[in-house]
Amino acid sequence: MADVCYDEATCIYAGADRPAVDALNLDIKDGEFVVLVGPSGSGKSTALRMLAGLEEIDAGSIRIGGRDMVGVPSRDRDIAMVFQNYALYPNKTVAENMGFSLKMHGVSKEERQRRVREAARLLDLEPLLGRKPKHLSGGQRQRVAMGRAIVREPQVFCMDEPLSNLDAKLRVQTRTQIAALQRRLGVTTVYVTHDQVEAMTMGDRVAVLRDGRLQQFATPGELYDRPVNLFVAGFIGSPAMNQLNVDVDAGALRVGETVVPLSAAQATAVAGLSRVTLGVRPEHLSVGGGELKLQVDLVEELGSDSYVYGHLVAEPDTSLVARAGRGRFRMGETVGIGFDPGQLHLFHPDSGERLGP
Amino acid sequence: MTAVTAPSAVPVGTIRSRSTRQVSWSRRAPLLPALVFVVVVTQVPFVVTIWYSLNSWNLVRPGSRQFVGLANYVHVATDVQFRTALVNTVVLTAGTVIISMVIGVALAVLLDRKFLGRSVVRTLLITPFLVMPVAAALLWKTAMFDPTFGIVDYVLGPLVGHVVWLSRFPLASVMVEMIWQWTPFMMLLVLAGLQSMPTDVVEAAGVDGARPFAIFRELTLPHLRRYIELGVVLGAIYVVNEFDSIYMMTQGGPGVSSTNLPYYIYERAFLGFDVGQSAAMGVVVLAGTILVATIALRLIFTSFTGREEAA
Ligand SMILES: Nc1ncnc2c1ncn2[C@@H]1O[C@H](COP(=O)(O)OP(=O)(O)O)[C@@H](O)[C@H]1O
Ligand SMILES: [Mg+2]
Repeated sequence: MADVCYDEATCIYAGADRPAVDALNLDIKDGEFVVLVGPSGSGKSTALRMLAGLEEIDAGSIRIGGRDMVGVPSRDRDIAMVFQNYALYPNKTVAENMGFSLKMHGVSKEERQRRVREAARLLDLEPLLGRKPKHLSGGQRQRVAMGRAIVREPQVFCMDEPLSNLDAKLRVQTRTQIAALQRRLGVTTVYVTHDQVEAMTMGDRVAVLRDGRLQQFATPGELYDRPVNLFVAGFIGSPAMNQLNVDVDAGALRVGETVVPLSAAQATAVAGLSRVTLGVRPEHLSVGGGELKLQVDLVEELGSDSYVYGHLVAEPDTSLVARAGRGRFRMGETVGIGFDPGQLHLFHPDSGERLGP
Repeated sequence: MTAVTAPSAVPVGTIRSRSTRQVSWSRRAPLLPALVFVVVVTQVPFVVTIWYSLNSWNLVRPGSRQFVGLANYVHVATDVQFRTALVNTVVLTAGTVIISMVIGVALAVLLDRKFLGRSVVRTLLITPFLVMPVAAALLWKTAMFDPTFGIVDYVLGPLVGHVVWLSRFPLASVMVEMIWQWTPFMMLLVLAGLQSMPTDVVEAAGVDGARPFAIFRELTLPHLRRYIELGVVLGAIYVVNEFDSIYMMTQGGPGVSSTNLPYYIYERAFLGFDVGQSAAMGVVVLAGTILVATIALRLIFTSFTGREEAA
């Protein structure tokens, strides 16, 4: 077990005009489950592969348990990796796959068998130990890949989108299993995903990346409640946060004809600006109660709730989504929308940075 | 096809089967000339050869032809030179194929990594395969193995003393030339195999703590297995029939020390004019080749379509 520290770690692919990972700083505590999340091409995999020793660290450094990893080959880093396509050894049985790293580290045959059996029991793989990967289902292969990582008892687990090849239901199920397994083993884990739901549900802390740069590194709750910029605000949460460009008028916001009052701290933060980007999550809009008129374009019934999509009557270019109880609204209807002043996010209209608390 | 959908008084089955037969013949008929051609040029000569092999017939003695039954085969079985040629064929084929495969694997592994001028090196390494076999044999006989101006003697002379390679080690010399010709083929096949090796598996092994040689032994070689088998079988099918190199370099000599079966049969048929004897040898060799090739081909087909296929 060890802590992991990215210190201005940078990776530039040959021929690329900008770094794939740009001066990344992350301090990951011993035993922590950290998720790297971001859209495709944001450098998540590259950041993980730098930790695993599969990409060069071109500048800065990465330390595992305080030891600098620059120039250290993968095999000497004492990490285990789960690949997106699992990368099982096709010519080896499940047991041989799982025992391979132990064999490479010169562990005796009896000890190897004991540990493989133990890991197999943990992952329900015992009946499959003699099979080749070809004869396994997607979910079973995924578990073998996990098993191969855990028999090692490594310092760090690296996982690159290990669930993306599973169907939706299995993914949700496996998600909780992996999180539970990690808590139980207490091994520091860096987990890459493009799925913000996975990130929010699994991670102790989540690092949001965009174009190789770290946007925010915080707990899921913090990311949700206090996104540092518009990108994080839009990326975390589904449906995405509503964003409206509104006028600032004497310490309050003017949305169409409606005036939304601000708290003292928020008013201070927007002082000097004439416009500001207002962010509000769908569940923080009260539907049916407010004065702002919304024309309903679409109602999405989820069973437990429904989401109402529509546009402002006063400003037809501005569309909004709000959460409502089920079955109360219909398409084409005009409903009133109310804001909860305590649940507003304010962002700078140009830079997109968060303003105020 | 013959399943009837509704009960009917008319014997539908017979009508349908007659028309099916017509349809299938109308499909087969255009192929018939090709079939006839193949039978005429392969099967008929084979039958004629079998007939010859049952006769004693030497072209040098006109009128000597007579039916002798299996006497020629008995003679083949007791012919010491035939046995030597058989052993030489096995040694030459196995040696050429195995050694060129080992070198081919080594070169392919080198070519599989990036380095400056890789495509030039690759082209140069492939060239021997593109040289006409007769020309290659002539080149080796003169430029390489010639006792007075050959490069081999010039280079090795100071180390091992003056050696007339083609008469001291005739079979080995021929084998060296054939290895030179066949290595590029093996290398290309293995290179194709290496390039189809999934990179994430290699990365996974590295993370699991395997050193490069362990990765090669534990993962790359098993992945290459079917490519190697294919190379060995295809190479053997060709090499077993090798004639050009022996004819050019040693003429099978000294004695029969570098004679293989095709060359021995050639000698008996076209230098000794013994039609009956050589036909019998041809039949024996053909039977043996078919037997070995069938086993070998079955081996490749199971490894390419069978359970062991790499995912
Ligand atoms: N082997 C490579 N060579 C060159 N550029 C690469 C390579 N791998 C990834 N990239 C580039 O680096 C960036 C980050 O890639 P990656 O880390 O794979 O993103 P993610 O995993 O977040 O989708 C992308 O712009 C991608 O095009
Ligand atoms: Mg990726």
